[in-house]
Amino acid sequence: MLSERELQISPIVQDSVMHNTKTLTTLHNLTASLFGVGAGILGLESYSGFIFYIIFTLLTSALVYGLRVRPAGVQNGKGGIERYFQGSMELWTGGLVDGLSGFVLTWTLFYGLVRA
Amino acid sequence: MTSSLLHPPAHLPPTVALQLSQQAPALLRSTPSAISPYSISSLWSAAESPELWTTYENLMLSCLRTGDEQSAHLCLQRLTERFGADNERLMALRGLFQEATAEDDAALKKVLEEYEKILAQDSSNMPVTKRRIALLQILKKIPESITALNELLDASPTDAEAWAELSDLYLSQGMYSQAVFALEEVLLITPYAWNMHARLGEVLYVAASSNEGGADRSLSESMRRFCRSIELCDDYLRGYYGLKLTTSRLLTMLSQGSRQSKTDTGLPPPDLKTVESLNELATSKLSEIVRRNASGESGWGGYDQSDIIAAQELLNRDSTPITR
Amino acid sequence: MPQVPVQTIHRDPQLFYWILIPITIVMILTGILRHYATVLMAVTPKKQDLPTIREQRSLLRAINLRMNANAISTPSFNARKDYMVTALENGAFLKEPDKKGQAAPNPMTDPAAMEGMMGMMKGNMAMIIPQTLIMGWINAFFSGFVIIRLPFPLTIKFKSMLQAGVATKDMDPQWMSSISWYVLCIFGLQSVFNYLLGSDNAASQMAQQMGQMGPGAAPQMFGPGVDAYKQYQAEAENIAVLDHQYTLEGVENRLLQSVKV
Repeated sequence: MLSERELQISPIVQDSVMHNTKTLTTLHNLTASLFGVGAGILGLESYSGFIFYIIFTLLTSALVYGLRVRPAGVQNGKGGIERYFQGSMELWTGGLVDGLSGFVLTWTLFYGLVRA
Repeated sequence: MTSSLLHPPAHLPPTVALQLSQQAPALLRSTPSAISPYSISSLWSAAESPELWTTYENLMLSCLRTGDEQSAHLCLQRLTERFGADNERLMALRGLFQEATAEDDAALKKVLEEYEKILAQDSSNMPVTKRRIALLQILKKIPESITALNELLDASPTDAEAWAELSDLYLSQGMYSQAVFALEEVLLITPYAWNMHARLGEVLYVAASSNEGGADRSLSESMRRFCRSIELCDDYLRGYYGLKLTTSRLLTMLSQGSRQSKTDTGLPPPDLKTVESLNELATSKLSEIVRRNASGESGWGGYDQSDIIAAQELLNRDSTPITR
Repeated sequence: MPQVPVQTIHRDPQLFYWILIPITIVMILTGILRHYATVLMAVTPKKQDLPTIREQRSLLRAINLRMNANAISTPSFNARKDYMVTALENGAFLKEPDKKGQAAPNPMTDPAAMEGMMGMMKGNMAMIIPQTLIMGWINAFFSGFVIIRLPFPLTIKFKSMLQAGVATKDMDPQWMSSISWYVLCIFGLQSVFNYLLGSDNAASQMAQQMGQMGPGAAPQMFGPGVDAYKQYQAEAENIAVLDHQYTLEGVENRLLQSVKV
């Protein structure tokens, strides 16, 4: 964590941070529902369903990192994550929690519809 | 193109304003003439969005700038239909329209009287208060305008826009310390606004140019302000321009060996070496920005063309004595 | 380990058309309705007269001075500090300067305060009424149906939660009753609303509950029944003890280090 004086010198604009997290949350919410549809149609059960979810969410994060965050980092000559997020955890694990409830809902719904 | 209609048009270059207002008739025809807030048809017609009203407002301002009063009036009319005539912002907009269409000073004075009538009824009407202050400036009543602005700021001291305006007014009157004070208030509200840091640097520089006595004090303060603005915003052309100006002057002053008076900012004056390297840095950065902008490298556009020309001119002025 | 045979229940496919899908659609529509109801019921902030604005914004100015003091030089700060502390302690910005030190009026008797509380009540109502209505609706029409099976196993503890309204002892806790589906919808539809209504919608209960905790602090500051003079005094004390460090100190060296040509 930065000290107070360093924060004063190079501030973090709260609005931008909010915007970044919000965009990421919306993306994860949407993709999680779609992954739920996929898992339901494939008829995945218990652990394999959750693993499916984790892998694809991480893949989404990796795409965000590879297509958006990393190029900006290369351009600046330093790590990209600091440029967009407060920590790397926010990018990688934040999405897992955000989308979980949506995933379970659509997974259950489509599993039920397909296996009825 | 519509995207630029969503931003406040205060600093649109004239060409863009013209372009926008030329599209106005087409745009006005394409949007429905009246959107009533509650009707069956609003269920399937395009939803009214905040953007639409922002577009109307900005379109009106662009049209007024280019003299397309008909379209401007249409915009105003639609806004009035939606929000009612006693909406505060609309009162100010209507006043603006009347100001723009006023033929002579007498007509402007009539608008001013109208503002005062509105304010007598409701003194907390901020948009109209601000219009009145602006109108006082147009009528060349600067002292009255300053008084009115001070009253506004007494009631609402967190209004950065008003403080900045006050600083400009003081600057136009040559009251530098007051202008600096007002800008410092702006910085207290928005501490990371790099353009405001640069602006304060400019005011301090002007103040330093005007009085030779304590010049080096405000000059070094000014230099630090420009440094801060660059620190907050990489490759900030205005910051580098100011940095170059201030460091050049500081260098001449320091090399003349003028005795250092104790600064009133509580900071020691910068030493000669630092100023020299800052000057070099500013020169090389300026030429880099100018060069890269001229060659059209990606990520280096977006500078105002007149700023680039001014920077080029500053560089030329600086380099001639060396080559000669 | 012998494989436990998976419990199968033959369900009428009509269950889907007449229970599952109606509940889901009604949930989505209620969410949208709630969003627009909240938008419609949002009270425009009451217009305040000039002295009140002055009283509140002066306090904000003092807070700004404290938060952002490092942006200005030490002499400028000291001048402002002296002015602010004196003015705050004298109550110069108060709406009624001669009334300082008196107890704040009871919020129950103040009509302006009542209005604010009504606004909060309305917000709560918009959340509670549809919830109770739908709950009652589901209970009246669909109770006792087992409609869907979760795709993952759960422990026996979840049985009472998921199979509310179905009293069958031996059924696998994976099976869900209609009420449980409703509960799952409440949590899971968040993403659907995000997609339909934009991300700061008022449809989801979760956001509503968060909202009551989060920004609730902001209106509280000027809320009814708060003594502005007490706030002033506290703020004056804060400013007086502030340790001022000028951000511009050493900025030229920082710049020379960070910027490379």
